[in-house]
Amino acid sequence: MRKQWLNSGLPVLVGATLAASAALAQAVDTARIEAAGQNDWLTYHGSYKSYHYSPLAQINANNVGNLGVAWMHIPGRSTRGLQSMPLVADGVLYYSGSYSRVFALNGATGEVIWSFFPELDEALISRQTHSPYNRGVALGEGKVFVGTMDGRLIGLDAKTGKVLWDTKLIDSQKLTVGFTGAPLYAKGSVIIGAQGGEWPGRGPIFAVDAATGKKKWEFLTVAGTDEAMKTWGSDSWRTGGGGGWMPGTYDSETNTILWGTANPAPLYDWSGTDYKTQGARPGDNLYTSSVIGLDIDSGKLKFYHQELPHDAWDFDSAVGEFVMLERDGQKLVVHPNKSGYIFVYDRNLGLKNVWRITENSNFVKNIDPKTGELVGRRDFKAGKVDEPLCPHISGGVSFNAGSYNPKTGLYYKLGQEWCMTLEVMKTTPVTAPQAQLNIGADFKIAPPPGGEIYGHLDARDPVTGAKKWEVRFPEPPLASVLSTAGNLVFVPDSRGIIHAYDAESGTELWNHNNGTGHQGGIVSYSAGGKQYIAVTAGFGGMASDDYAPTFGGVYKSMPRDDGALIVYSLK
Amino acid sequence: MKSNLGTMTLLPAAALAVSLACGVPVHAQSATPAPDQETFDVGQLFATTCGWCHSDGGRAAGKGPQLMNTTRDDAYLRSRIKSGKSGAMPAFGETFSDAQIDQIITYIRQLKPREG
Repeated sequence: MRKQWLNSGLPVLVGATLAASAALAQAVDTARIEAAGQNDWLTYHGSYKSYHYSPLAQINANNVGNLGVAWMHIPGRSTRGLQSMPLVADGVLYYSGSYSRVFALNGATGEVIWSFFPELDEALISRQTHSPYNRGVALGEGKVFVGTMDGRLIGLDAKTGKVLWDTKLIDSQKLTVGFTGAPLYAKGSVIIGAQGGEWPGRGPIFAVDAATGKKKWEFLTVAGTDEAMKTWGSDSWRTGGGGGWMPGTYDSETNTILWGTANPAPLYDWSGTDYKTQGARPGDNLYTSSVIGLDIDSGKLKFYHQELPHDAWDFDSAVGEFVMLERDGQKLVVHPNKSGYIFVYDRNLGLKNVWRITENSNFVKNIDPKTGELVGRRDFKAGKVDEPLCPHISGGVSFNAGSYNPKTGLYYKLGQEWCMTLEVMKTTPVTAPQAQLNIGADFKIAPPPGGEIYGHLDARDPVTGAKKWEVRFPEPPLASVLSTAGNLVFVPDSRGIIHAYDAESGTELWNHNNGTGHQGGIVSYSAGGKQYIAVTAGFGGMASDDYAPTFGGVYKSMPRDDGALIVYSLK
Repeated sequence: MKSNLGTMTLLPAAALAVSLACGVPVHAQSATPAPDQETFDVGQLFATTCGWCHSDGGRAAGKGPQLMNTTRDDAYLRSRIKSGKSGAMPAFGETFSDAQIDQIITYIRQLKPREG
């Protein structure tokens, strides 16, 4: 046993198992993340392939009934719940909580190795709407990287939690936005995207040198090129939006960062059908609600596809999944759009197919699967919108991730069925940072026509969208999904129950009540030869805050300032 | 029909204190100058900011409570607008003048169900 001192001042004994594991540890680098070793979970999406899949099978469909809680950790101060994705390297689990608190824990026992509570601009955070949750960290080159709500990216020593560099990237005092999403480490750089969709900024995505913390490049998702500037009529690029608040991924074959971008502001436009020349932001508004490919070395735009030209519904592309598959000799990338439409691309973001996971959707009649054209789009004028808009502003899918299982060939993804009534308002252009948001409408959540709100876990072919099975939930689950080689799919739901399903049939095999709603990550890893499932629990935030007034029941008393990391193993 | 209760003329003193479109923070260092505007449109403020949580312009509960017919007194509303509530509502004390907050309260007091 060896003794270490925390930066919080408390002594901690690190177990012999962990010390032995750490002695064998190799630095986390691009090749190791690419290889996605089965014992680890090295980046937000599991690996650069974004499968959210574990090849471990010690816990499997035959023995999952024996799953029980191995240990728990309480991060404290979980304002708006716990929304992050844990990472694991060499038996050490790293995760973040609200206010960018970071912990390194012994993956086998939960013992705290170190903790880091950054000093933040609390007065600024008290003014923010989409705050103070944090959705995860990145690992690389012996460091842990975390973003903050006051516009900084911080590099910590992975062994001690000591701050190695602290780089201010955004003037958050001026813009009132910061970083809530996890960074991505690749090829010596740390990539992180800012919040942006509802604010008059230009939605930057940054690359920072992992060794020094020095900024390498910045790409503006609002009018970031001459071509893009032409798509914002009437100087409307000044109303801004965009950003890329969830981590994308890295394609080493093309040396490209793939990233999804957020919506333009205001969220709802009063242009009517003449959106190319009229309304709040005439034109397509590049590169909002798009997927973009940036050269990792220079930050130059290589290619893009705008999933929703002139997004007038806040159905952005910021979801970070870029699921990399091979099908019939073709290398494909699958990316869900918030609207519930799932886009399939080649590795250069050339469109291959589009399919839809939601049943209730009417913002367009369809998206052409060959051209990507939005067919029968509803562009509102100022005033009351007669037919409710589907899906609701919280989307057809959450920002959280689905899971692709290469053993079953199925993509497990949650869909959300809900709508909203809407009155669009013509507002004065907001070209300077305002109180907070720039929505452009009054609205209220509503059930789908002729039905009730619900959510569903689908098992589908990721390329064609063909559905094999579906499990329904009375309220849409909002958390990430995990599948494993043990023929299991785990779904942490909104009521607080974590479910395990047979990956082939959808039959429920096990569940457990974690005591509060889930809206964050779930991973699997191995420490000391034993497989664990780690899930974050803790509710609250822009989507989940609607649950108490909409559904009542358990949500009425569910805290929105609490959370826990709960780790399971076989009893 | 949309209520027009939200548009009210700013008191001169308050107009001097702010230069805002739908509530630009007094302390904001604007990248571009905000329009010089002498009206403070609370209806627009709800459509751009407050309405995400106080649904339907404050007429219905959403993430935040229904404001129409609230039983809270003015002092409570003023305090909540200024200081916010951790994890639930931002603090707008640095954003709006006292006169503007009074106008927000007036808007809340005059809220009526939509016609039709």
